[in-house]
Amino acid sequence: MSYHQQGFDALLFHRITIALATALLLVTTTAWAEPFPSRPVTLVVPYGAGGTTDISARQLAKLVEPILGQPVVVENHPGGGGINAMRSVARADPDGYTLIATTSSPAFVTPALRDVGYDPIQDFLPLLNYSGPYHGVLINADSPYRTLDELLEAARNGTRLTYATAGALGGAHLSFTALSRETHADLQHVPFDGASSATAALLGHHVDIALVPAYCDLVNDGRLRLLAVLDDERDPDFPSIPTLAQSGHDIEFPSIVALMAPRETPADRIDTLRDAFTQAASSDAFAQVMKKLNQPVRLMSGEALEAVIEKNLTDYRELASELKK
Amino acid sequence: MLLDAFYALLDVWVVIAAVVGVIAGIVIGAIPGLGPTMAIALLIPVTFTMSPIPALILLLGVYQGAIFGGSISAILLNVPGTPSSAATALDGHAMARQGKAGEALRIALYASVFGNVFSCLVLMLLAQPLASLALDFGPAQMAALMLFALAIIVLFGGGSILDSALMTLVGITAGIVGLDPIEGLPRFTFGSFAAEDGLQLIPVLIGLFAMSEVLLQAFGGHRQSRPSAEVGSVSGHVGLLAMWRMRVTLLISSLIGTFVGILPGIGSTVPAFVSYGFARSRSRHKETFGQGEPEGVAAPEAANNAVTGGALVPMLSLGIPGDAVTAVILGAFMLQGLTPGPFLFQHHGVEVYAIFEALVLLSIPCVLFGLMMFKGAVHVIKLQPRHLFPAIAILAIFGAFSVNNSLFDVGVMLGAGVIGFLFRRCGFPLPPLLIGLILGPPLEESLRQALLTSGGSVDIFLNSPIALGLLGVTALCALGASLQRLRHRRQGN
Repeated sequence: MSYHQQGFDALLFHRITIALATALLLVTTTAWAEPFPSRPVTLVVPYGAGGTTDISARQLAKLVEPILGQPVVVENHPGGGGINAMRSVARADPDGYTLIATTSSPAFVTPALRDVGYDPIQDFLPLLNYSGPYHGVLINADSPYRTLDELLEAARNGTRLTYATAGALGGAHLSFTALSRETHADLQHVPFDGASSATAALLGHHVDIALVPAYCDLVNDGRLRLLAVLDDERDPDFPSIPTLAQSGHDIEFPSIVALMAPRETPADRIDTLRDAFTQAASSDAFAQVMKKLNQPVRLMSGEALEAVIEKNLTDYRELASELKK
Repeated sequence: MLLDAFYALLDVWVVIAAVVGVIAGIVIGAIPGLGPTMAIALLIPVTFTMSPIPALILLLGVYQGAIFGGSISAILLNVPGTPSSAATALDGHAMARQGKAGEALRIALYASVFGNVFSCLVLMLLAQPLASLALDFGPAQMAALMLFALAIIVLFGGGSILDSALMTLVGITAGIVGLDPIEGLPRFTFGSFAAEDGLQLIPVLIGLFAMSEVLLQAFGGHRQSRPSAEVGSVSGHVGLLAMWRMRVTLLISSLIGTFVGILPGIGSTVPAFVSYGFARSRSRHKETFGQGEPEGVAAPEAANNAVTGGALVPMLSLGIPGDAVTAVILGAFMLQGLTPGPFLFQHHGVEVYAIFEALVLLSIPCVLFGLMMFKGAVHVIKLQPRHLFPAIAILAIFGAFSVNNSLFDVGVMLGAGVIGFLFRRCGFPLPPLLIGLILGPPLEESLRQALLTSGGSVDIFLNSPIALGLLGVTALCALGASLQRLRHRRQGN
């Protein structure tokens, strides 16, 4: 009941905001005449400074500055696994001067599970997707299982297998919950504080499986074995490893790193920003930095991204309501 | 290899990077709220265009400098600049009050350097084998280790055991606020989104130690104007002999710091307090701890600086950062094309060993500029409280805000300030509260992780020699402490 109440309040608040914004726009119509952008653009990063999302966003900002002709200021707004920043950008002035570089969790995982104070579809307009670390299904190299099927077969027949993820109710957790429901495999989730702790727990044989990104060197070194990727496409570094869907399960966790603007941002400004950022993200300079960071460059248009977000939001909502039963 | 690496350091840019890094680190560490994490994160863009060795030396210099810098404000003002220097304030500030600020600062500096060099040598010689030791510590072992650390701090931290235990529980209770680490659902947030992150360590630290000090001064009514007599004796000299007398304490503390640094997720505050507890329990004159005992300054400083080398072990050899600072440094290494992980030592041996050697050599600028800065810093004591404490209050507010750019954190800081003020007025010790807040959430998380992996059975603790050993030592410590009390009471009668 309280959820309905909150939803209603949020809607009312939203309407009042729109009404006020419209009134303001009528007053300041002269502002439309000036070229866009005529002052620095703020790019909000929903995580702390120094992480891969932050470093790649800063590089992108640096590369887009000469194209836009205005400085792009990166502002870190960490906390709440990204939802705090999303909430504040959702309420920012939709004038094209506030953007956010967001990832899967705040874009479509957490909002599907609980009230976060924003709606990823109604409040945001995706500009483009430019990265997204592949998440793998990893086991130790000395483990007896060679394929995902062997692993699931064992878990179906009396072996209890534990899997580590970067945190409770993340995309990796949800996809494996769906997998264990679908296959009736005995898979026990053990959440850790971040992907590196989950990887360490696997390396130390404290868990059987880890669903984590940044596995490339550990797999090549022969310490870990990659069985599948959770994403919707294969990891180009390991072209022989199938996705979950290609392994015969209708489950995916597409990892995104995307730029979004508040939904009401005027279309001409969106076009300017989209063109400029797409140009910067497809540049060689950006590709080089991402290679150093061990992050893929995955370009996707705003429309395609919106479809991905919408599909996954629906899927995860369904899964969450099933979990609550 | 070692020689090649050394030649790589003979570059004017390396020297400049080291000096700038250390000075910036010491200054940033001394200001409450500006920790090494933020400083390094802000400097990373500056290092984009630099070549790898100077870039990383700049950042690691900041890291080393900041951990030491926190103790300057802890000793002079009783306001720890970083959480890890809270233990240094206990005896350091007591010494400063006795007019021995210069001596306390020098002991802190030399102990820091000792801890640093010790852990860097360990890193250089044993990085690979120690990294696999770190992996042996899974959830069950970590839970046992954290219980052990809590026991040491409560039993040997000084003061009444009951007071310490109560304050630890207050800290652990405060740590419950936020998202449940296993279920991911909010606890005690009362519908506030900002509270979902829980009570953050830095705002609580600033509130408990800095803001409460301001409130104490404001409502204390004592020390309205400071006698200037203290200033004459600030340039205390500490000889090698004095440090040599503390050699066992320095060694044990450095070992504790290095070891805890290697393990993920504990950080440098806990080893500082654990070493303090150890030094006190070993000492023949326990009663002087808390009253300005030099070993009480040396122990935590050696330990918290030794964490730096230890924390780099799993970060470099496995690509697994143990805390926020090393996670940021990991990013910096990657940007320089030195991807930490199993291939780092094979592909970039010279660079890595150059960085190790630089870590040891960074002690030279640390000592030189540390001593130079003391000359200026000790004059802070001469400032009248009415000038000093408003400035600290402003810094506290900025510091709390800057952690997450969130006003909620400022509220938490002010709340913690009032609570800290009340507790101090009532005579309760604050460090156990801080430790409870730091260790409570990871203790809960590892305990529940261990029980999840074992399917709810406690066998996971009994089947692991490490966990069983740690639990046994914890029990022995409790027994020892109660026997000690008993004997003390008999002697007293």
